[in-house]
Amino acid sequence: MVALNAYRRDNFEHPTLGLVVVVALVAWTGAAIWLYRDRVRRTPVLLVADLAIVLAALAATPWVKSPDFNATIPGFYVMGAFFAWAIHWHWKGGLVASSLIALFDVVPRNHLDQGNYGNVFLILIGGPIVGYLCESLQRMARERDAAEHAAAAAEERTRLARAVHDGVLQVLAMTQRRGAAAGGEWADLGRLAGEQERSLRSLIRQQDTVPAAAGGRVDLAGALEAMATAHPVRTEVATPGGTVLVDEHVATETVAAVRACLDNVLAHVGPRGSAWILAQAAPDAITVSVRDDGPGIAPGRLSQAEEEGRLGVASSIRGRIEDLGGTATVESGEWGTEWEIVVPLA
Amino acid sequence: MVRVMVVDDHPMWRDAVERDLEAAGHQVVAVAANGREAIARFPAAAPQVVVLDLQLPDDTGVQVTSMMLEHDPTAKVLILSASGEQGDVLEAIKAGATGYLVKSASSAELIDAVVRVAEGEAVFTPGLAGLVLGEFRRIADGPPDSPVDQLTERETEILKMVATGMSYKQIAARLVLSHRTVQNHVQNTLRKLQMNNRVQLTRWAIEHGLDDQAEA
Repeated sequence: MVALNAYRRDNFEHPTLGLVVVVALVAWTGAAIWLYRDRVRRTPVLLVADLAIVLAALAATPWVKSPDFNATIPGFYVMGAFFAWAIHWHWKGGLVASSLIALFDVVPRNHLDQGNYGNVFLILIGGPIVGYLCESLQRMARERDAAEHAAAAAEERTRLARAVHDGVLQVLAMTQRRGAAAGGEWADLGRLAGEQERSLRSLIRQQDTVPAAAGGRVDLAGALEAMATAHPVRTEVATPGGTVLVDEHVATETVAAVRACLDNVLAHVGPRGSAWILAQAAPDAITVSVRDDGPGIAPGRLSQAEEEGRLGVASSIRGRIEDLGGTATVESGEWGTEWEIVVPLA
Repeated sequence: MVRVMVVDDHPMWRDAVERDLEAAGHQVVAVAANGREAIARFPAAAPQVVVLDLQLPDDTGVQVTSMMLEHDPTAKVLILSASGEQGDVLEAIKAGATGYLVKSASSAELIDAVVRVAEGEAVFTPGLAGLVLGEFRRIADGPPDSPVDQLTERETEILKMVATGMSYKQIAARLVLSHRTVQNHVQNTLRKLQMNNRVQLTRWAIEHGLDDQAEA
């Protein structure tokens, strides 16, 4: 700005007055840099003063130079105040500052050429856009801070929960152990503690796998665990570790079929029976095995029931799995009854 | 009689396990409440079996396992855990632990496990068998050039049965094998898992240029 004005010094009708204005602007630049540095001093008063000085310099131009001047004294110096407004008051500030600058630039002029028009247009467009971008950036930064804070809090909660859960599990396991040793009513208490311990352990495992479910795909291992925990038959679930992501429909139907297997255990072995579920995942198929420790099904009884049209549980299990394009086979022996469900993954 | 070391940060558990073991005629040669104590007392106590809680206040059970076995490869580690965090359990087994038991197991089960582990037998829960099967599945689905051992069909079949809660006796009867053969198969799966882990660690070290520094 100084160099440009020095270069165009011949255009000044009052060179001394021009020098005073330029020196004043330079001094104000120094002052503004110092004033803007500290957050406390960035008050509306400072911003208004900054813009007012620029506008005054613009307005002084026709008197200091000639009424038919070409470039204003501050020239592109106006950008400083204008950006400050856009950053501080966002698009509204940008719009107000750019409109005022445009007004003070256009009104004193005798003529408006293509170049002036272009500059004014850019200022009017630029003000709101820069303001809007600043607003977005500041909002994003705030959101990022909030998200980081939330993530840190969640992590800390999980860490604390682990310690608490571990302690509770220890006590429940101990109660179960002592209860069994003491016998009588204490044994009942121990058994209850054991049930709670299993539920809590399975809950913790499900919690670990929940956030992985996404995009219409759900965790089959977690779903099986949740179902088995709620089922009256005492069931132990073995999973490959981590999540087994499948389509929601596949998960729902598979879990329903496994629940039917457990219902079958309840019906034929009774609530004292135990069951085990093993989930395995290959890239092209999932396999779920369900075994109980009951007396087993006599050879041929299942197929005999099927022939007689008394399909019952077996057909509900098979039907669901065959609809998914999979197979469900049953084996039985002295070691109990085992269903093996295989569902291909498309 | 088995010489046992008990590492658990809960005094309640430490005492219970110690009492049970001594009542069954075993000798508790050392106890520790955290990883630092455990590592410090391990060499002098020279236990045959370490009953180790996975959740320790300082080191993790995984680190303690590998440090102990580095010092004395003949020692056996039995992991006893309350929460059964899947990742930790698998890591501890890969680091060389021979057995894993949930804390809700009865005293009889615990003592049986200690004796079996002392004899070098692998003690699996159904949950652990599921994790091991999953781990081999991940290896099988990984890059095909890996020079790691896969499970044989028989081993997979037996692990599946362990994972569905069958005892070795039941498995032996179902497959018409001897109890000893079933035991060997289960042990082999553990050996392969630990071997693969060492292969992976070594390869990782070579890829990251750590082998030179290790020798220096």
